[in-house]
Amino acid sequence: MKMDYKIRAEELGFNYGNKEVLKDINFKIKAGSFISIIGPNGSGKSTFLKILSRYLKPQKGIVVLGEENLKELSKKEISRRLSVVPQNILLEFDFRVKDIVLMGRHPYINRLKGETAEDIKIAERAMKYTNTLEFSHRLYNELSGGEKQRVILAQALAQEPGILLLDEPISHLDLQHQVEILDLIKKMTIEEGLTAVAVLHDLNMASAYSDYIIMLKDGKVCYEGEPEKVLNSTNIAYVFNTDVTISKNPVTGKTYLYPISTVPKKIRNVKVHLICGGGSGLELIQELVGNGFGVSTGVLNIGDSDWAISRQYELDIAEETPFLSITQKAYEKNLELAIRAHCIILLPIYFSKANIKNLELLMENSLKDKTIYILDDSNFQRRDFTGGEAQSIYNKIKTQPNVVLLEEDELKIALIKADEKNV
Amino acid sequence: MYKSTGYIKNILSLSILIMFLIICLFVAVGIGAVDIHRKEIMSIIFLGENTDNRVILMDIRLPRVMISAVLGAGLSAVGGVMQGVFKNPLVDSYTLGMSSGAALGAVLSIVSGIGIFGYATTGVFAFLGAVATLFFVYFLSKTKNRVSINSLLLSGVAVSYFLSSIISFMMMLNRNKIEQIVFWTMGSLSSATWQKLIFSSSFILPGILVLCFFSRELNIMSLGEESAHYIGVDVEKLKYILLVICSLIVGAVVSTGGTIGFLGLVAPHIVRIIWGSDNRKLIPYSAIMGGAILMLSDALGRVLIQPAEIPVGVMTSIMGGPFFIFLLKKQKTKGA
Repeated sequence: MKMDYKIRAEELGFNYGNKEVLKDINFKIKAGSFISIIGPNGSGKSTFLKILSRYLKPQKGIVVLGEENLKELSKKEISRRLSVVPQNILLEFDFRVKDIVLMGRHPYINRLKGETAEDIKIAERAMKYTNTLEFSHRLYNELSGGEKQRVILAQALAQEPGILLLDEPISHLDLQHQVEILDLIKKMTIEEGLTAVAVLHDLNMASAYSDYIIMLKDGKVCYEGEPEKVLNSTNIAYVFNTDVTISKNPVTGKTYLYPISTVPKKIRNVKVHLICGGGSGLELIQELVGNGFGVSTGVLNIGDSDWAISRQYELDIAEETPFLSITQKAYEKNLELAIRAHCIILLPIYFSKANIKNLELLMENSLKDKTIYILDDSNFQRRDFTGGEAQSIYNKIKTQPNVVLLEEDELKIALIKADEKNV
Repeated sequence: MYKSTGYIKNILSLSILIMFLIICLFVAVGIGAVDIHRKEIMSIIFLGENTDNRVILMDIRLPRVMISAVLGAGLSAVGGVMQGVFKNPLVDSYTLGMSSGAALGAVLSIVSGIGIFGYATTGVFAFLGAVATLFFVYFLSKTKNRVSINSLLLSGVAVSYFLSSIISFMMMLNRNKIEQIVFWTMGSLSSATWQKLIFSSSFILPGILVLCFFSRELNIMSLGEESAHYIGVDVEKLKYILLVICSLIVGAVVSTGGTIGFLGLVAPHIVRIIWGSDNRKLIPYSAIMGGAILMLSDALGRVLIQPAEIPVGVMTSIMGGPFFIFLLKKQKTKGA
């Protein structure tokens, strides 16, 4: 826990037989940081970690710990600089916790002398740090998953490494224990200057804890950098082949990812056009797409959050350049989409001179035979920034026979009924 | 803090075990076709008195009992170590084909009548058989510089069966020597001499010491080979050293007493139940425990159906088989 190590790799390449697992990997890791390696299964994450720990020898390239080439260090020398925490350890023959932690002192122990008082002190400190000292006399196999993983962490710390490599250290644990283990590791990087390199599956955990993220795909570093830079929907879509929406954790401000399932629960025949914007449509769009409705949106400013999710779902959008008033072209596109739909939904959006045309649209003659649902009728006044112009249009629209005012749960029922009729 | 209490406990356990060994020795020396009272044993050994039973005790019983102690210790230490290496409690020197290899070597020397090494010929052949089998099995299961435990076990069992069938085949071809071979494959200590004691001890006892020497690494191996590597253990080298020492011990045991089954499973298990799996205790304790058990088994074999004698390999199997099944059953319920 005393030594600070930076790690550098140059042009690493590794094959299993003819299969190229890693190719041309270059990176530098600062000492005292928490680095996550993420990537889909088979992207070479574990192999990468095994090369850093010299369990596997790369066919090409070098790894440098501090100033030393990993290749020139003996097994014991490596294990004094670097320790590894695996997913979990299964024991056929049971050992006491203290004995397991003391095994971590092996690289320092002289075969003839056995462990010294110093070794025992260091092992005790590692146990104190990981809160395992209280059950140091218990047998490993009697412990819970979280306790076991803390014991393995204590053993790794007893090696007094400068670098801690973790191969999916939390994938067998429940949420409480995941946080507990990652908190501990994070604390050590801050307090002890330990460099931690972890293969993590949970991208949100990686986002919450990492100082730096390396994203692997097909044995190559695809993206690397700070979590908020690397973790965006474009990168994730490319590396993991999965769509996500990104937001911020409201408490920590860290990037948070929500995966989007593209499998609708049921395919429906009803098409819905949404007049939304400013995030008012986020939930409804996901809900409707998830339930198999055909959805289009408009007029949305490019870059708006409703626009972004519409893009992600590849919906038809009537779009407009940001900060511009709705042009005739966008208006017509919006109308066209609305005509194609079976019904139109107006969400509680704010109106200004720039987007008042979204409201005017609802008075179009060509939409007279479509049902128009208005969500959350209350407080329209507060959402009107046109000096009453929008309000008067809105009042007129409300008198139209094809308009229905309702709440969100009523809307779902109405849409499902409409779908059943349509069939 | 750990060391002081552990240390005292350790010494206490060790003294109890050694006491047990000495008691077993006196019992085993005392009983047989002629019973010798312990007072007489004491006076012959320590005072050098020349009583009626001196010849029986000094020339027949004592070397035999001591050989059984040494062989028992060797087999049990090997069993404990192999279970540790393979992380499997059901493994012993039979599993890797070492015992069968040693047996084939010995049978070859008996059948061919080669006597180039004098009285030690059978011994040398047995040792060569054990080592050759080990290397063959090791070679079979080696892929890309690593030896996976599963493939080692599988090839071990396969080779073991193959060698056993060759032994049977040779017995069939050499009906005139069948009694000698059978006696030998069943395991027997009836031809024990001081010379044999010295020969076998000079391999087995240092071998056990070396095994004890590596007990810390063996403990670390139980975390799995990959984890052991991360703690700085040279796993491949360790496996190699331990298996060569084990085959040396097995070769010495088999050449002296034939094939003696189950002891390598049973003794480490008893030790594990009482003292736990720490190999620093397991290996020496198993050795003492195994020595005591084999002395008693041989003594029982001598007296049970007098004047005939039950070969010691048959005795250990008769007693060890049920015990083994009991262990298996217990392990199953534990796992469920």
